[in-house]
Amino acid sequence: MEQAIEDLTRGNVAEVKVILATVVLALAAYQLLLAAVGYGRLRLPPLSSAAALWTHRASGDTIVLLTVTVAAMCVGYHGFELGDDGGTHAIVALALLGAIAVKVLAVRVGGRLGRLLPLLGASVFALLTITWLTSAGDFLGVG
Amino acid sequence: MERPSQGVQLLGSLLAALAIAAVAVAVVTAQFGPTSSAERELREERLEQREEAIEERQELLEERLEQGR
Repeated sequence: MEQAIEDLTRGNVAEVKVILATVVLALAAYQLLLAAVGYGRLRLPPLSSAAALWTHRASGDTIVLLTVTVAAMCVGYHGFELGDDGGTHAIVALALLGAIAVKVLAVRVGGRLGRLLPLLGASVFALLTITWLTSAGDFLGVG
Repeated sequence: MERPSQGVQLLGSLLAALAIAAVAVAVVTAQFGPTSSAERELREERLEQREEAIEERQELLEERLEQGR
């Protein structure tokens, strides 16, 4: 697995993960804007709430795909450790994956769970930011 | 201001997402610089080899000096 990841990234495993994670974070910030337009909290004259919500879902699918890819690369290359260095990162990343799973379930099931979507979305963004800060941000000297 | 058609709105918002992703890639890549890890490792390896060669030459020189005495 390690060798496959190494080959796939041409030896730039950390760099590729940092780039993908940063793209996810940037798109997640855009998701907040789209959700605000979609729920009518923010008005952008050229964008209707239906169009904003459609793009929110499309962009969200991309985010899930990229997040799972980065997580698979992390676990496949570094393994899963709750030691001193990566402990916070691993725990927050696990919570992030759980929050994403609950959010996807809420979208599919709807009803009462659907009412929690704004809260779940905010939680996913917060967890994503902490996960980024404890890995990619650290690598870039931001975290 | 008149709102564009639904298709244009969707396309525009998707293009905005693409642009955001492209800017994120460009900014992070600029932080890393143009050199890949593989190239950097190769350069470090060459540097190590050169240092080893210098050390070997110095040892050889010292041996010769001792033999000369």
